[in-house]
Amino acid sequence: MIEVLAILFLSPIITSLPIALAWGLEKRPPWADKLAYLSVFGLFLSLVAAIYILLNVGELTAESEPVKYVIPWLPAVNINFVFIFDYLSKIMGTLTAFIAFLIGIYGLEYMKHDYRLGWYWFFFNLFTASMLLTVYSDNMLMLLIGWEGLGIASWGLIGHWFRDDDHLSYVGIIDRKVWKLNMFWSPSSGAWRAISTIRIGDIPMFFAVGAFMVLAGTLNISEIDWVALEHKIGFTGIAILMIAFMMGPFTKSAQLPFSEWLMTAMTGPTTVSALLHSATMVAAGTYLFMRLSWYIEPWHAGEGYEVIYAVVLFLGLASAFYGALVAAGCLERKVLLAASTMSSLGLMFASTAASYWVGKIAILVGFWYLVTHAFAKATLFLVAGHLIHETHDRFCCGNLELAKKLKIAFIATIVATLCLSGIPPLTAYWVKSAMDGVMHSLDEHFGIFPLILLVLTSAVYSAFLAKFLALNFLKGREVEVHAHGGRVMSFAYALMVSMLLVLLYFYTTTHEEPFAEFLHEGFMVSSFAVGLLVLVTYLFALRNPSIKALSRIGMFLSDRMYLPFLNDYIVPKIGWIMATIVDCGNRLIDYICHSAFPKFFEIISYSLRMIQDGRIERYLKIVIGFILVVLVASTTVGW
Amino acid sequence: MIEYAIIIPLVFAIFLPLLDAKKAAIVSAISFLIPMFISLLNILTFASYEVFIENFGAPIGEFYLLVDPVSNAFGFTICLVSAMVAIYSLPYMKHRFEEMVHSKEITNVEREFKKYWFLYNVYAASMLLLVYSGNFLLLYIFLELSLIASFLLIYYYGYGNRQWVGILYFVWTHIAGVLALLGFLIVAFESQTLAINNISKISFLAWLLIFLGMLVKLPGFGAHIWLPWAHAEAPTPVSALLSPLTVGLAGYVLFRVYTIDPSFIIAYRDLILAFGIFSSVYAGLSVFKQKDYKRLLAYSTVSQMGYVLIALCVGSAGLLGLIIQYMSHAFGKSILFMTAGALIATYGLRDLRKMGGLHEYVPTISNAALLGFATLSGVLTIGMLGEFFILVGVAELYKLNLAVIAAISLVFILSGLYSFYTMKVIYYGKPAQLERPKISRLLDAPLYFIAFFSVAFLFPPLSTALIEGINYVLGGVMP
Repeated sequence: MIEVLAILFLSPIITSLPIALAWGLEKRPPWADKLAYLSVFGLFLSLVAAIYILLNVGELTAESEPVKYVIPWLPAVNINFVFIFDYLSKIMGTLTAFIAFLIGIYGLEYMKHDYRLGWYWFFFNLFTASMLLTVYSDNMLMLLIGWEGLGIASWGLIGHWFRDDDHLSYVGIIDRKVWKLNMFWSPSSGAWRAISTIRIGDIPMFFAVGAFMVLAGTLNISEIDWVALEHKIGFTGIAILMIAFMMGPFTKSAQLPFSEWLMTAMTGPTTVSALLHSATMVAAGTYLFMRLSWYIEPWHAGEGYEVIYAVVLFLGLASAFYGALVAAGCLERKVLLAASTMSSLGLMFASTAASYWVGKIAILVGFWYLVTHAFAKATLFLVAGHLIHETHDRFCCGNLELAKKLKIAFIATIVATLCLSGIPPLTAYWVKSAMDGVMHSLDEHFGIFPLILLVLTSAVYSAFLAKFLALNFLKGREVEVHAHGGRVMSFAYALMVSMLLVLLYFYTTTHEEPFAEFLHEGFMVSSFAVGLLVLVTYLFALRNPSIKALSRIGMFLSDRMYLPFLNDYIVPKIGWIMATIVDCGNRLIDYICHSAFPKFFEIISYSLRMIQDGRIERYLKIVIGFILVVLVASTTVGW
Repeated sequence: MIEYAIIIPLVFAIFLPLLDAKKAAIVSAISFLIPMFISLLNILTFASYEVFIENFGAPIGEFYLLVDPVSNAFGFTICLVSAMVAIYSLPYMKHRFEEMVHSKEITNVEREFKKYWFLYNVYAASMLLLVYSGNFLLLYIFLELSLIASFLLIYYYGYGNRQWVGILYFVWTHIAGVLALLGFLIVAFESQTLAINNISKISFLAWLLIFLGMLVKLPGFGAHIWLPWAHAEAPTPVSALLSPLTVGLAGYVLFRVYTIDPSFIIAYRDLILAFGIFSSVYAGLSVFKQKDYKRLLAYSTVSQMGYVLIALCVGSAGLLGLIIQYMSHAFGKSILFMTAGALIATYGLRDLRKMGGLHEYVPTISNAALLGFATLSGVLTIGMLGEFFILVGVAELYKLNLAVIAAISLVFILSGLYSFYTMKVIYYGKPAQLERPKISRLLDAPLYFIAFFSVAFLFPPLSTALIEGINYVLGGVMP
């Protein structure tokens, strides 16, 4: 087993070292860029290991007992590397490794002429390995290693084009200002926004992990007695602890109000966006929440957990709706997709959170939505990357001419958008139907509010997907196409999108849970009605991808409802005010200690020395004065 | 074996002036590498024993060398950093001496190197001996020795108004030293011994004096004002010892005193914790306002030393955190000071406003800085374990107290923020108009050697052995 694990986690990192080192040499060897193939080979090895685990370790059903494998790490304090192989981790791990491998292949062509291949491949592979570690961890501290790896790798990749010299890598309309704020972001600022937001979430999460150690005595998610924990620390205790913990997933999965970094993360290479948005990083947050819920089994847990799950439910739904609206207003290819990811993540959170009231099926719905979304979103990003390469434009543009030249991209986009929006009877329809069912079951607790939010989100969601298709291949402005190669890239996204059809096959033919439930929900009239609504908005947006009359609203939405002000103005302003106060404090202390105080002594010393000027009168005066003082003193005291 | 190995650097100090600069660098590095590997071996084998030197009778007591997992952890850190900085000193000090010759402050580079190597080895060796000292008087002697040697290094070879800065450093650290000495003297008269293994109680006044002294040395808020001057204006290799190693030794002294008698800290726990948090946040915020790279790093040191104070207050998990924090800060900060020095040596650049996009020209330095900052902010390095154990301690003592959670989170968040903020300001963004230089390998390779250990200490077998050993010293079972 340990060999398989070594291959799984280490092979991506080790195989990326040669190119990282060769690229850094003073005289770069001519074969340095060929080493990229080695890195992709590492990803392939990792995929093989993940598939091996999927097929050979334990059973693959939602009810199966998890298999665990322990490597001693800090046994003195009861913390070890505990790898867990259960339904979630085995599928998620394979998904991650597969998508990373395909994107790796795509990257071979996409990044061919880049100026920082060593950096790129090292962090790309570190990114994948970190995600895999996160996926297979049962121990929270070990999970945090992967978690931090994701953070730093995403930072490195988002800021990959650190020179900030290529406007094609920016986000936003260059030189656009709203009030005092620049509404465009360079790669280096994109990276900074990402890591700063993530740190804010990670530290409370880190604290919560420490607290778990103290309160539960173990850090293994599957071994913590969640019910006993609640009894031990009570209602508020659980609320504080879990909210602190969830700060990590909230920031990493870009839920409100921490979503801004995800939008400007688009300054990285498109391959990075594709990986970041499908199976790593942002998925890590939702995945972790699923993993926790899997073992907390909130449907058995007490009321302490209810608050947390309600918070996550509504935060998720709100983020989903916000993300969908923003995406509907966006005209930038990648930012549109980024906002849509945020929306999908919200749905995953909401669905998983519903498990408190609905049971395990809600987690499975969220999880399979994650899988479906991962393939579709990776495809769309890879297509977007190809389009940016061909058109040298970040904004949606292109018409049927472009579609004819890039047939595979065109078809892939059609399939991906149709399959993701939830149009019956395509892939996401079945999962979305089950999600409708889950939200419907919340009726008695929250009314129809969750269901309405979900339906609205779905409607807007399919509309902007159709808009993406229309503005890039059908009705966008005409563009000059710089066609070159693209075969490897096309191959990668063609394979990626075909996975959606494989999934469709699974959903409709397998009679195991949860797929049987998906089918059952899919054949209900209400689900079909929602499916029809989604189809209508899809067709409407396909016909009218941009409505002139609404352009003001569109601008407001594509400015992300001015949420950047929170990130770029309010918080930094507060920080700078505090820093200025502190700086004044430092100057004051410095002045007192190093100027005023020595000066004071200097003055005393000077005046003492001045007294001694050598004249006899002065000394006489001093003596007489002294005697008088003594006399006065002694009379007052009464000698 | 370590008891012989730790003498090597001090003995070699006498012979170093006889060698030419290049050979002296190698010999100096070797003199630290030998004890480094032995202490690493000691960490892995949980070596724990005492070596008797001499008994001076009451009230001084026994002089002995204290070898345990804690002193090995500190000793390893000191040796590793000192060895790497010794190698790094060669190109850097050559640059510095040539600069000084140019400004007619000195006349002969080779002669200055002789002085430099002697002082350097004495300085680093005294710190190494300090952590193995089993008697507070012996410890104090080495503390003084290190202060004098470092003072002279600043006084002779510092930047800016170096004599003024040197004296400033001397005065402040002697306030610290004298207060601690008074504390030790009280201990001596009360317990009739200063041998660490024989003292069982430390009275309030003694604790207070030692604590205040170490607070100046650490330094905490208020007294921190000397540190940015000294660490920024010292020649960079000296900064790379001062900041990572010397100030943190205050934490070591407090740790030893605490393990004898924790009464003082327990009695004033809340107050000290609040002070530590305030100190760390205050300095962390100061970092953002700095315009000088080395000064920025100096403020970051103050902020990181706040961690040490926090760790001291939160029980045995906290003490574990304290030791790991010392190591991680030493690794991270020595790398960072050396990156600052590399920029000075290649471009003469210290001013942040003139930097930007430097990754374009000095990628190896930039990547080393990334590793350094990752260590400080606890990302994928030993720093993560340090933060973790401090948080465990906080959770243990303060449970789920919202105010404490918020405050401690702020401390750690600030470190992460200023780290990556500085990376962005200096190394990323539009490249400043500079030439791509030829960098001596000695200016960047040692940084990666330290970084290797910083990452390796997160994983088994190093972290396993380290934590087991320290846990044993703190009262756990012998592994």
